[in-house]
Amino acid sequence: MGKEISRRTFLKVAAGAATASGLIPQVRRIALEPFVRPPEEELPGRATWFASTCRQCPAGCGIIVRVINGRARKIEGNPNHPLNHGKLCARGQAGLQVLYNPDRLHNAVRQSGGRGSRIFSPIPWSEALDELTAALQSLRDPQALAVLAGQPSDHLYTILASFLEVVGAPPAVIFDLHTALDGRAECASLSSRWFGEHQLPIYDLAHAQVVFSFGANLLETWMSPVAQSVAYGQMRQSRLGGRGVFVQFEPRLSATGASADEWIPVPPGTEGIIALALGRIIVEENLGRAGKHSDHAHLYRNVSVADAAQACGLPVEELRRLAHLFAETDRPLAIPGGQLTGHTNSKQAMDAVMALNVIMRRLGRHGGVFTPQPVPAERFASPAPTSNLTEILDLVERMRSGDIEIFLIHGANPIYELPAWVGFKEALEEVPLVISFSPFVDETAVQADLILPDHTYLEGWGYQVVSPGADRPIISGQQPVTQPLHDTRSTADILLSLASRLGGAVARALPWEDEAGFLEESSAQLHDNSISTYDARTPAGFWSLWRQHGGWWSKRAIKREPEAVGMPKGAMAVPAAAFQGDKGTYPFHLMPYSSLTLSDGRGANQPWLQEAPDPMTTARWNTWIEINPESARSLAIKDNDMVRVTSAYGSLQAAVVVYPGIRPDTVAIPTGQGHSDYGRFATTRGANVMDLLTPSPAEQGNKFAFCATRVRIEKVGQVKPLARLEDLDGEGRESIR
Amino acid sequence: MGQDRTRTVRSRILWPFLMIAILLMVVFAVLISRQIATAAPEQPIAFKHQVHAEAEVECLFCHPNALRSDIAGIPSVARCVGCHQTIANDSPNVKLVFDYWERNEPIPWQAVNNMPDFVFFSHQPHLGAGVTCETCHGNVGEMVVVKPIISMDMGWCLDCHLDQPQENVARLTDCLACHK
Repeated sequence: MGKEISRRTFLKVAAGAATASGLIPQVRRIALEPFVRPPEEELPGRATWFASTCRQCPAGCGIIVRVINGRARKIEGNPNHPLNHGKLCARGQAGLQVLYNPDRLHNAVRQSGGRGSRIFSPIPWSEALDELTAALQSLRDPQALAVLAGQPSDHLYTILASFLEVVGAPPAVIFDLHTALDGRAECASLSSRWFGEHQLPIYDLAHAQVVFSFGANLLETWMSPVAQSVAYGQMRQSRLGGRGVFVQFEPRLSATGASADEWIPVPPGTEGIIALALGRIIVEENLGRAGKHSDHAHLYRNVSVADAAQACGLPVEELRRLAHLFAETDRPLAIPGGQLTGHTNSKQAMDAVMALNVIMRRLGRHGGVFTPQPVPAERFASPAPTSNLTEILDLVERMRSGDIEIFLIHGANPIYELPAWVGFKEALEEVPLVISFSPFVDETAVQADLILPDHTYLEGWGYQVVSPGADRPIISGQQPVTQPLHDTRSTADILLSLASRLGGAVARALPWEDEAGFLEESSAQLHDNSISTYDARTPAGFWSLWRQHGGWWSKRAIKREPEAVGMPKGAMAVPAAAFQGDKGTYPFHLMPYSSLTLSDGRGANQPWLQEAPDPMTTARWNTWIEINPESARSLAIKDNDMVRVTSAYGSLQAAVVVYPGIRPDTVAIPTGQGHSDYGRFATTRGANVMDLLTPSPAEQGNKFAFCATRVRIEKVGQVKPLARLEDLDGEGRESIR
Repeated sequence: MGQDRTRTVRSRILWPFLMIAILLMVVFAVLISRQIATAAPEQPIAFKHQVHAEAEVECLFCHPNALRSDIAGIPSVARCVGCHQTIANDSPNVKLVFDYWERNEPIPWQAVNNMPDFVFFSHQPHLGAGVTCETCHGNVGEMVVVKPIISMDMGWCLDCHLDQPQENVARLTDCLACHK
């Protein structure tokens, strides 16, 4: 005894022991779990591929899923599918993490500790259905049943719509933030104003020679990005017309803008004014090869190119150059959408852009604008529409005033997705029974009494009429690629069993035993159709081919020429966009943009998507704010500085990305982070940009003007390094981390 | 000063010993891990290959996928139950199989031979070339508890691939034959 151990000796011994313990042999042991009852024809070790439909966004791309031993292993694009031609985006690839997500609900639950308590107790499905049936039977007035759904699969929408109709309830409100930021409702109403059809127009990007995109981020998130990326590739490598020219008008350089020949960083809200000026120059100088423009001269009667040039900060000469570029080609194409629809003047701006296609006679022409050919069967004729903000505010008002007794929500997360001023959460508190069908406990499900989890899309049935479509009518078919992993139940099946329990007219209107039966019967409507890409002798054989192909489509392209029946009669005018917040107090325009990976936040619980870098900033795992280097210098802020972003309505904190691809008067924040619920990967991460949005200016009505907020920025004195792959160090050199 | 000097001398003597000790530990660890790698893993049910082989059950009766697929496969619980409904249904181990069957649960058998993930091994071409099961797995029919008898490293694979008819050697020793 008595020999003391020095610190150094202690460390040596500790290090030695740690090394030695590392040398203890480890042998990998793998459990091989065989099937209990093997499916017939199943060959362990060999993959089976199932054709289905991606549901990570509403585009409806065809997928094939590699399944080994009954487990889904890999998702790829369906090479035969005429929309995405075998291609698939990062969100589609990450779909396995929806299926295998550790935060999925394993069974139906009741929130036993009261709403918001997050204390759940499992309940048997029979009890859940009994409760729902009893609640529906005791409803005083069917108008007190309300449903909100976020771009549901069309089969669910069809079943839901007939259920609500026969019960006597108002139609479901269809809303989710992803499609709202796309401007889906705006694009559909543009089509119904101009062409008399409430269907999304199809822009033939693949065959255009000069494309002007006004705000549509068509290679990242807008509408059908995979199909548009394929078409973009064809446009760039056109065999006959040479390389197409692409000009993107947007205040923030997106990956689409970066892929364009020219990025015109227009002031927010002036896209329509530019389109109008271009039209005026084309008509005035009689540009192009499409004949005389005298028919359309009246549209531009009141347009002053000089005023427009001043409003958008571009010289008149520059506008003339752009007008010549657009008009002096055989196949120009102008596309409105995306953040253009987030301004108070979006209706007029979209009209102004569409007018460019009309004066260049691009309707129904190769490389022009088309309307979709409907699927030749009654069951598929009316795909799910998209509601506008008026319908949502109306729903919120009815909930707030206590008119709603039962509220069902599927596939949307309005408490997270809608700006707080809409008051969705407060209104929901007034509803006696709230039922969510979410497979995850998201912000809205936390405010529900019961959660009856739906299958994820890789376990469930469905179909989707593709809209906006490609060159032909397409139905993307969805089928289970694996057995449900948990005790979940399809929402369509729940509605069908409710109908049979309610009996009478409801049961007669929805006679199907389950959704697969409904789908088989629906598919039979297309059996023996002359345009079908395949056919079988019997409806049963047809249904089998339907599942093998992953849906149904026409064997050849059918494009339909739209008629500009609703073209504006008088002179067009685009008013200046209105913004909320005084320019002195709030010097920056806020541009919230749909995250390429997380979309409107639904991807935030998938770590592959959190890890995938944003293509322009390479940032991930957090919320950031993009600021022009000039503005950053004037505020003395650098990369990774935390700043407080404040609007007239709310504030949040975010780390700075100094980004040269944005106007000095604009800042941009991606959507998708800042979840308070929605699983371990989504929570405690970043901030929700929707918290900043201010209500639309009163005179603009109930427009979802998500780009109409002004903000100010203050340094908070903290630095939080963002996880980025590379950054611009201010000297113009890129440094790889 | 004197003390410092002693310490230096002592550490000069100590260092080589320390290095030798570490080297011995590493060698020992490698040997032990080989030993463990070729040990029989503990199985959820004490399955006896020997008993089945003595009853003249062919390998391919329970592992038929070796003929058609990359992996030989573990028989499904249904296949075990198929025979054992009438044969040896009073054995305690067979009763355990029925427990799994009734719970509708797969039996978590432990893999005996593991190929690393970077090897794309397939049973089918090996059986097609006339390689017998025993060549790689040893005489399983005489083992009560099955264990790996060959460590299946790359040198062992190549020994056999090089020992083939001359016209096949180039193809069989190509890197991409096994590492895709």
